[in-house]
Amino acid sequence: MQLTYLEAIRQGIWEEMERDPAVFCIGEDIGIYGGAFKVTDGFIDRFGPERVIDTPIAESAIVGAAFGASLTGLRPIAEFQFMDFIGCAFNQISNMVAKAHYRWNAPAPLVIRGPSGGNVHGGPFHSQNPEMWFVHNPGLKVVCPASAYDAKGLIKAAIRDNNPVIFFEHKYLYRRIKEEIPAEDYIVPLGKARMAREGRDLSVITYAAMVFTALEAAEVLAKEGVELEVLDLRTVSPLDRDAIAQTVKKTNKVILLHEHPRTGGLAGEIAAIINEEAFDDLDGPIVRIAALDTPVPFSPPQEEFFLPKVSDVVREARRLKAY
Amino acid sequence: MAKKKKPTNKIQRSISRTSRPSENLNSAHRTYTIPDWRLERPQFSVKQIHVGDEVRYEVTGDLSAPVPPIRESKYLTKQQHIELYRWMLLNRKMEAALENLYKQSKVVGGVYFGLGQEACSCASAYALKKEEWLGPMIRNQGSLLVRGFAPSDIMMQYMAKAGSPTKGRDASSHFGDIDEHNVVAPISTLGDLIPVLAGVALGARLQGKNIAVMTYIGDGGQSTGVTYEGLNFAAVQNLGLVLFVENNLWGYSTPSDMQFRVKDLAERAIAYGIPGVIIDGTDACQVYDAAHEACERARRGEGPTLIEAKMMRMKGHAIHDAAEYVPKPLFDYWKKRDCVARFKNYIVNVTKWLTPDQDRQLIEDVDKQLENDRDFAVNSPMPEPGTAAPGAYCENGCHEIKPKYGVPTVRRANNTTLKRSEAAVHLE
Repeated sequence: MQLTYLEAIRQGIWEEMERDPAVFCIGEDIGIYGGAFKVTDGFIDRFGPERVIDTPIAESAIVGAAFGASLTGLRPIAEFQFMDFIGCAFNQISNMVAKAHYRWNAPAPLVIRGPSGGNVHGGPFHSQNPEMWFVHNPGLKVVCPASAYDAKGLIKAAIRDNNPVIFFEHKYLYRRIKEEIPAEDYIVPLGKARMAREGRDLSVITYAAMVFTALEAAEVLAKEGVELEVLDLRTVSPLDRDAIAQTVKKTNKVILLHEHPRTGGLAGEIAAIINEEAFDDLDGPIVRIAALDTPVPFSPPQEEFFLPKVSDVVREARRLKAY
Repeated sequence: MAKKKKPTNKIQRSISRTSRPSENLNSAHRTYTIPDWRLERPQFSVKQIHVGDEVRYEVTGDLSAPVPPIRESKYLTKQQHIELYRWMLLNRKMEAALENLYKQSKVVGGVYFGLGQEACSCASAYALKKEEWLGPMIRNQGSLLVRGFAPSDIMMQYMAKAGSPTKGRDASSHFGDIDEHNVVAPISTLGDLIPVLAGVALGARLQGKNIAVMTYIGDGGQSTGVTYEGLNFAAVQNLGLVLFVENNLWGYSTPSDMQFRVKDLAERAIAYGIPGVIIDGTDACQVYDAAHEACERARRGEGPTLIEAKMMRMKGHAIHDAAEYVPKPLFDYWKKRDCVARFKNYIVNVTKWLTPDQDRQLIEDVDKQLENDRDFAVNSPMPEPGTAAPGAYCENGCHEIKPKYGVPTVRRANNTTLKRSEAAVHLE
């Protein structure tokens, strides 16, 4: 069946709720309205207000309540209307939830999910990619799917995982990409990267919507005889160190690409992993392409300037190839 | 402004009908009531004043009133009074033992005390059933004892021992257990337990069981936003949360007069649309009765209750803090209202449920228990350094996740196929 990225997530959650009565959804406007992006559209009719719980506008309460319910052996899925708003619940996530298993041996099998990402002219509070806030939090897993197939398989894996998972859905991809999704039940394991395109000359390590930026750049470069390899991380915590090392060992030149600001971004962490795992295999400097060190601007020309573009990847790839 | 009601024998009625607007719907003014069970209503306030070159706190008001009697419990049996008295003694004496351990440099870091608040910790937790849940704050070490943790558990937490409930990973009352004791470990920031305990009640309700869940917040901690979020969520969802607002007059060094402007924190209940009640937190019977009624409401599925327990923190914020900022007359006033001494007097002299000999025996018994626990804790090993590494994640089947109270009820449906969603236009 051909499904959009959004429909794939929706189907994944639905199937898990059908499969396991311990799974329930909690969030703002997710019931009769079906969520701001309609991910839970129709869920309340099937599963009832008991398992599709509309809450007050209170992000700390949503996460706290989801965590509390998980302590009784349930698997809550907490929706954030926009992942930008997750800052409101940061203390609950970072101090209460993430540390629970380490501190007092309490597993917290909950999923916190919602739309993130820019290129939709949402402005500073509806476009952010705040995944790094959570990558730096031991105890959490952080997932950022780039394809509809992965989005469904990863959300199902996240729901079944015994750890708190922060699940970033890229809203630019919600209805822009469509793929054939198998009818049978499947999961995509957390912590495993995916080879989005094989190539021999240079590697781009990226994830989420930037996978498509890299793939477009690869098409341009292919016409010039430069073969770009594109590694889609899928999970940004824990990172797939083996896959990162492998692609570097294969192409010996690497570009790290992400949509969030450059300073303190994931590229720095991946560069350190490459240093540790594959330094001797490098034939050139590790190149970073990232957003500006600013908030996400609203006006389309400004946002376009802020975000990494296909032309940035093409330019840097040419430069690195020639190095 | 809330109108005060005299304590009534129909407590059940008053507590379930409080915080609702009066029935005269035509009235242009609504009135709300908060029952006050206390047998005295001290009136004083603490302000910052200049004295010479210094700014200090000054207390004004009447602090000369005689100590009120214990308010007879409607629910506790004679035997339960004695048990509760023992918990309070254990709580107090365990903290004295902790202070000694600290002075002997056996404690890592500081020690937090609940001196003067033992009635509130112990009698509240005593109202919960075994399968129900509690989330303690830093001073509710007595609640942890009542929930079945040993004094040695708390001592080992403070001494950072390998055998502590957190295996050395956290200190003080920062521990819990989801299997047997049903205790949620607190974190250092205030108010965060409130939505979590509400969530525990939600989880149980999804599994077909209305349980009471209890947690605490101070006069300082109630200023946080998550306190509002959590209690409002519990109110909207009608969850069986019993929230003790422990108004101990000081948030670290800041007096309650600088934390809020309402006269009584129980008035906050009105804003949440839930019942609230004011009690004397140094009277174990009032604490128990209020907790019991709130728990019963919770079990009937009638939602949360806010209980403001008034008392005073009789030591500094932690052991390093001599609390010299507290005006001395306040200490003198509350020392006369010491919760353990008053409860002992009630049991030994007023009701004569324990003879002085039996009381001595009980005290000796508590001392002996603490001595054993202390020896065990002191002699237990520190953790191996490498034990710091594992455990951030639940891996390799270290836990089996399954609903604690039963499989959640699932709605039957004729059609279980997912319909395609309508296209949303939001930020397309």
